[in-house]
Amino acid sequence: MRFRNWLRALHTRVWRRRNRDGELEREFEAHLALEAEEQRESGLPLEEARYAARRAFGNTTLIQEDVREVWSIVWLERFARDVKYAARSLRKSPGFAGVAILTLALGIGANTAIFSAINALMLQPLPFSAADQLVRINSTINGVPITGFAYPGGPSLLDVRDFAANSHSFQEMVVYDTWRKNVSFGDSTTKPEQMQVGLVLSAYFEVLDIRPIMGRLFTEEENQEGKGYVALISEQLWRNRFGGDKAILGRKIVINAEPYTIIAVMPDVIPEWMEPGHVGATEVWTPFPSPDQLPESSRGARGFGALARIKPGVRLEQAQAELATIAAALAAAHPADQGVGVSLTTVADARVGTLRPMLFLLMGAVGLILLIACGNLANLLLARNSARQRELAVRAALGAGRAGLIRQLLAETLLLSLAGAAVGVGLARLGLASVARMHPEEFPQLGSVGIDWRVLTFTLSVSLITSLLFGLAPAFMGTRLNLVDALKQGGRYGTSGPGSQRFRNVLVATEMALSLMLLVGASLLVRSILRLQGQNLGIRQDHLLRGQIYLPPVRYPNPGTITRFCDEFSARIRALPGARDATVTTIYPPYNGWTQMLDIPGRPAIRIQDVPSAQFGVADYHFVRTLGIPLFRGKDFSESDGVNSPSVALISDEFQKRYFPTQDPIGRTIHIGPPQFLHIGPGEGVTDSADVTIIGVIGDFKNVGLALSPEPQITVLYSQHPLVNYGFKDIVIRTASDPRTLVPEVRDQLRQLDSDIPFSAVRTMDELVERQTGGQRFTTVLLILFAAAGLALAIVGIYGVISLLVAQRQQELAVRLALGASQANVLWLVLKQGLKMATTGAAIGLCGAFAAQKFTSGLLFGISPVDPLTFAGAPIFLLTVAAVACAIPGARVLRIDPARALRQD
Amino acid sequence: MATIMTPKKTPGRTELLQGTLDMLILRTLLFGPAHGHQIAKHIQRTTDDVLQVEHGSLYPALHRMERKGWIAAKWEMAKDRNREFKYYRLTPAGKKQLVREESRWKQLAAAVATVMRPVPGG
Repeated sequence: MRFRNWLRALHTRVWRRRNRDGELEREFEAHLALEAEEQRESGLPLEEARYAARRAFGNTTLIQEDVREVWSIVWLERFARDVKYAARSLRKSPGFAGVAILTLALGIGANTAIFSAINALMLQPLPFSAADQLVRINSTINGVPITGFAYPGGPSLLDVRDFAANSHSFQEMVVYDTWRKNVSFGDSTTKPEQMQVGLVLSAYFEVLDIRPIMGRLFTEEENQEGKGYVALISEQLWRNRFGGDKAILGRKIVINAEPYTIIAVMPDVIPEWMEPGHVGATEVWTPFPSPDQLPESSRGARGFGALARIKPGVRLEQAQAELATIAAALAAAHPADQGVGVSLTTVADARVGTLRPMLFLLMGAVGLILLIACGNLANLLLARNSARQRELAVRAALGAGRAGLIRQLLAETLLLSLAGAAVGVGLARLGLASVARMHPEEFPQLGSVGIDWRVLTFTLSVSLITSLLFGLAPAFMGTRLNLVDALKQGGRYGTSGPGSQRFRNVLVATEMALSLMLLVGASLLVRSILRLQGQNLGIRQDHLLRGQIYLPPVRYPNPGTITRFCDEFSARIRALPGARDATVTTIYPPYNGWTQMLDIPGRPAIRIQDVPSAQFGVADYHFVRTLGIPLFRGKDFSESDGVNSPSVALISDEFQKRYFPTQDPIGRTIHIGPPQFLHIGPGEGVTDSADVTIIGVIGDFKNVGLALSPEPQITVLYSQHPLVNYGFKDIVIRTASDPRTLVPEVRDQLRQLDSDIPFSAVRTMDELVERQTGGQRFTTVLLILFAAAGLALAIVGIYGVISLLVAQRQQELAVRLALGASQANVLWLVLKQGLKMATTGAAIGLCGAFAAQKFTSGLLFGISPVDPLTFAGAPIFLLTVAAVACAIPGARVLRIDPARALRQD
Repeated sequence: MATIMTPKKTPGRTELLQGTLDMLILRTLLFGPAHGHQIAKHIQRTTDDVLQVEHGSLYPALHRMERKGWIAAKWEMAKDRNREFKYYRLTPAGKKQLVREESRWKQLAAAVATVMRPVPGG
């Protein structure tokens, strides 16, 4: 029954509304007629009686609306109507609507994107259970993280074994390693490809609390022996390569030419950023030899991944302190551990990694953008509403209720905000997607960043509050306005009081200040990055191509076979018409990463800190020529330095300065490898042990990154050093034209030599240098964009204020012109106002930029965070742009025709 | 600065308490069906012109009560004039509402009277 009543009510309300309007009019007419008749009966003439009746009745339209409201589905109809009016009114001023929407979109978009990134990288829970207990163990030397390994700061296996045995703060502790290996899938048509293979114990997955989707983890025996010839594959590999085959367990894959049996599929839980080198997710895991079986001589071998889970209730500092005590004991007991300490990082902190300072900087930048956007929005709304005061007054005079006016302004504001938010989300999505595409390798963490809806809600609320505040405040003022005054006022534009004009000036000055801060930040970063990229590498950087190969031990079991393959390969490449020269090597700028301890006669060392060390690399005799490194003294490697001839070495200028400051190094023999007292044996891929004779001194080249000056470098021939002649090699080719064009031919030559070896990580030297500055470039590009956006907004702000000023003062200016003021005088009157705002803003902005230097200082290279050139240039630039922005509307003053302007209204 | 929305107040008139108008209308209709003009006049006359019914309040109130089902409306020819009027009459629901409002009003009146009783010795 109730439902039928409701239906009837709905029917009455919606379908019979027209009818009701007519009926209502009839009801009023009857009333008025009766009233008029009564008035006439009391003796008034007809016309007067009618008039009196109408006057007694009141505002029929208003009453009609009130009655209609009784019957309508009030909020819905009213809302639809308000939105319709709002849309119409915004359409009528597309300039205002466009600028306002764009302003909002920039503010909302920039903030949503950056805070989404921050959320994903710093706040979002990790994909592991009880992730706050997970820590990464890092080794330090003299308090500084050990560098130069795949896992920066990676500890030694034996150290971690001893940590685990002697500590009580941890539930579990694991070491693991990751190698790029050639993997194929058993079927002869598929070429092998380089994949990331994890070497792990079952405990690795247990620490992370990851269980197989199907199958089992490694057994104790499989890990004990080190080679179980069993493999776990990732869910992604299983789906992509095996089509999610349910019968996958027991099938074989070939890793480095050896067959492995698949025993489990692991879920894709471990994010890419947890892997070393950021070269993609690990897709295959094989057993890792348990550290219990390693000889004491391998204690110096570092650079392994190490994870631990802290016991519940134990604080990070406690765990850290306990490990530090153990590390100190190890350092005292083992020469290889002298000066080596330990530090724990939560996995969550490791996720942000080097992005942290940049994110904070960008966070500050988007905060400024949001402030500028809000200021601009406020300004726009104030200007628009003060221009509309007359319109509002007319509406009010015609009987619009105050609530109605406010509702309508509210609808406009909401419509603007929503449109701005929609465009802003679009911008944020676009931005995040393009950042992820630009830097997939440097920042795999960014790949998974999506729009965070909570962030969007926050930014939307901020802009909504701003627009409501400034959209409605004038509405309240407007509706309370004295009708008669507003209507009497001349000009087409309502004038605004000096108060609101001053407020707008303050807004513009603030926008100027904030955008100057952005400008300073962006130009500091640009100058820093230009310096960084303009660093002299110490080689001829152009026309160089680099690619990696890996010769698996199964097929290339001894150094001789490796040397033969490499010599043949480089000879074939040199024979290509597009190649000028080629060298097989392990070193090239800007980063080497292989530090080698040395024993130099006449430099005895007793403590590990005193042991001479240098960046170490192996190459063939084309190395110096191919890279274009100058030879300062002595002679270059040559063909006559063969496998059986005496071992020779080239040292860098810095090497000579550090270790032979007064002597001539040519002809001297030094020992490559740790001094005797350290008892570090050769093997485990970390050290060489050979005597070499220095035959030449070459120029320094960047070997510890772009930002640092070159460290001593020593280079030997791999053919003469079998201990360090591994299957991992790079080929560097000097090309005649664009290096990229040579890639297919190089691949072709490699396939002819051995079709199972992939040519991977192919890059030009320019690209390698760019990758080094990836983080800074990424921050710089974003900051430039933000600075541009901020500047654009501030310029719109000042332009708007001056435009309005010219429009409002048109008559006054016309009077001045009519009374004989020169055009220049009048123009200056207008420009002065704008420049005052701009200079005030710039001055405040400079102070702000000075105060904000701690945000930038950590990211700058070779430039002071208060660089005088930037601090002078940025305000000059800002003022110039602002002057132009003022001059454009200001020039309208010149077109004022005094006669016409004065006749107007 | 005069606000544009609030109607001018004339001295001598008493503004109706919120909700009281409904009760007065219902009470008026207790005597039989009436149209808007009659209702307004009746209230004014019976209170010796103390209570003036604004049309801006009367008609929305009538329609509101019609929607709530307290009163029903019908167009009928006036007995004394050659003209159709919209006559409102009380529905059973309206009668119940009137009882409720009357008792509430009495409570209120009694309460106010207690506060306003003559000051002893004053």
